[in-house]
Amino acid sequence: MITRRTALLTGTAALLTPLAARATDPGYHLKPAEIADGVWLIEGAQDSFAPANGGAICNIVMLRTDQGAVVIDSGGTALHGAALRDFADQRLGGVAATLNTHHHPDHWFGNQAFADRPILALPATRGLQAQNAQALSEGLYRILGGWMRGTVPLPAATAVTGGNMVIGGRELRLLALSGHSQADLALLDPTTGTLIAGDLLFLDRAPSFPDADLDAWRGALDRLAAIPASGIVPGHGPFMRDSRAFAQTRAYLDAFQDRLGRAADLGLAPAETLAAGPMPEFAGLGANPEEYHRAVVQRWRDFEDMALPLIGGTA
Amino acid sequence: MMSAFLCDRLANGAAALAQYGGGIAPVTAPDSDPFDSGMWELHRLEYLGDPPDWRADPRMRVLTPRNAEDASHVPIMVDATGLTDPVTRIVITIDYSPLPLALIFHPGRALPLLGFGVKYEIAGPIRATALADGVPARMGGAFIDAMGGGCSAPAVAHTRPDWQQGFGEMRGRLFPDSGRLRVNIRHPMDTGLADGIPAHHLTDLQLLDAQGAPIARIELRHPVEENPTLTFALPPDLALGPVRIEARDSNGYRFSGEVRA
Repeated sequence: MITRRTALLTGTAALLTPLAARATDPGYHLKPAEIADGVWLIEGAQDSFAPANGGAICNIVMLRTDQGAVVIDSGGTALHGAALRDFADQRLGGVAATLNTHHHPDHWFGNQAFADRPILALPATRGLQAQNAQALSEGLYRILGGWMRGTVPLPAATAVTGGNMVIGGRELRLLALSGHSQADLALLDPTTGTLIAGDLLFLDRAPSFPDADLDAWRGALDRLAAIPASGIVPGHGPFMRDSRAFAQTRAYLDAFQDRLGRAADLGLAPAETLAAGPMPEFAGLGANPEEYHRAVVQRWRDFEDMALPLIGGTA
Repeated sequence: MMSAFLCDRLANGAAALAQYGGGIAPVTAPDSDPFDSGMWELHRLEYLGDPPDWRADPRMRVLTPRNAEDASHVPIMVDATGLTDPVTRIVITIDYSPLPLALIFHPGRALPLLGFGVKYEIAGPIRATALADGVPARMGGAFIDAMGGGCSAPAVAHTRPDWQQGFGEMRGRLFPDSGRLRVNIRHPMDTGLADGIPAHHLTDLQLLDAQGAPIARIELRHPVEENPTLTFALPPDLALGPVRIEARDSNGYRFSGEVRA
């Protein structure tokens, strides 16, 4: 049984401090865990952007190399990025390079803290970062307030493509995919067999769909599932040694498509489909029902277009 | 209290709708504004013909998202089928929009139920008020926050396709089982507020029966979403179709289409 995770990794400490102090002096309290040899996971809160979590909602992975950490995703704010950078400097001998898995802001708004070292992303991700930085930033300032202090989104400076790559003596396999967004980078650490899936995988947290292409997403899951992995880090949710994240993400995509397809085919309006709530079996996931409500608004037209045939035009 | 919403056609949808609040405004007293907004008095005067008697009515259901996740497409659904007294017009107003009047729906022989989408810039209430001669104006509504806690990408700015591409294209379908009729028209619905883009929006849309007699009519205004989709509910005899849809816009273009069961 899946239940909503209530203990927020980074928000708990903040909730214990007086409100005024919290508003003016937000702090990120990271809880890094070494999940495989030289593979560190800083797990995000399984929730939406909110003042309670400071935007620290996605998983961050750091791989130890001879030349410092390979940082996979940089956090949701400049302050979050700075806290992550402190950990890399103190425990992993600095930073070798940073990779952004995709252009959603929780994964790269911490880039400023890593700007003295190469920051890499897929070409399409870099374009989307530049194109959407302003709008995403305005939205996050409104939601997160003081946590966003000093955040000036910095798109990745260097393009990468899929294939093998050696950073600081550590070999990495990069997979250029899409489906959750227009460009999704997943990584395999062959040394430990750890698969870092970015937001192509969610576990115990409802997947988000602002830029989703469900068919492409399923194709990406097929490709990832074919890779033998000893452990899997989803973009949001806990690290697991089994394939639960694959089964759950795939089931969620199928159930969402089925629910919206059915709604459009029965003549429901989007407001009704939204108010009808998430698929019952996924109602308890982190970030639901809110994530489902957003997804209906974001994806409704895809389903409506299929359900309504052409019947006329300009007279 | 029953509603004409079809949420119950989806698994767990009826329970979720109830949990969501059912689209019922938090009415405290019939003659007090549940949203306590200064615009209500002004808008009653300006857009509702200053009705001598009005009340906040929980039978006027207005279903909306809590947040304007996509500020250019906020889905709204109004259900006045719970009212027992007559409804000749339903007026939709947005309290803090620069153009508060969104549309006027004349249900005629259709049920007093309408789905549509609006643009939303500033947090505040949207209201649906049912009007008819000799009875009080009955108002329901919902508060919509302008920005959600969403933002997995709240405003990833989508580039806008050239509006002339497919302009006027009409899509639609009649769902005889539920009596629903849904129609979509490809139209920019320009407000005239954006720099250098003159106002250009649909002004009227009409449903006609097989004999060409009117069923229902909508007067559309600027706040209605781009490429609007409208959802109607028809009584069983009209739901057999065919139904003709005719519309026109502020530049004199005319649009038409027909749906059959």
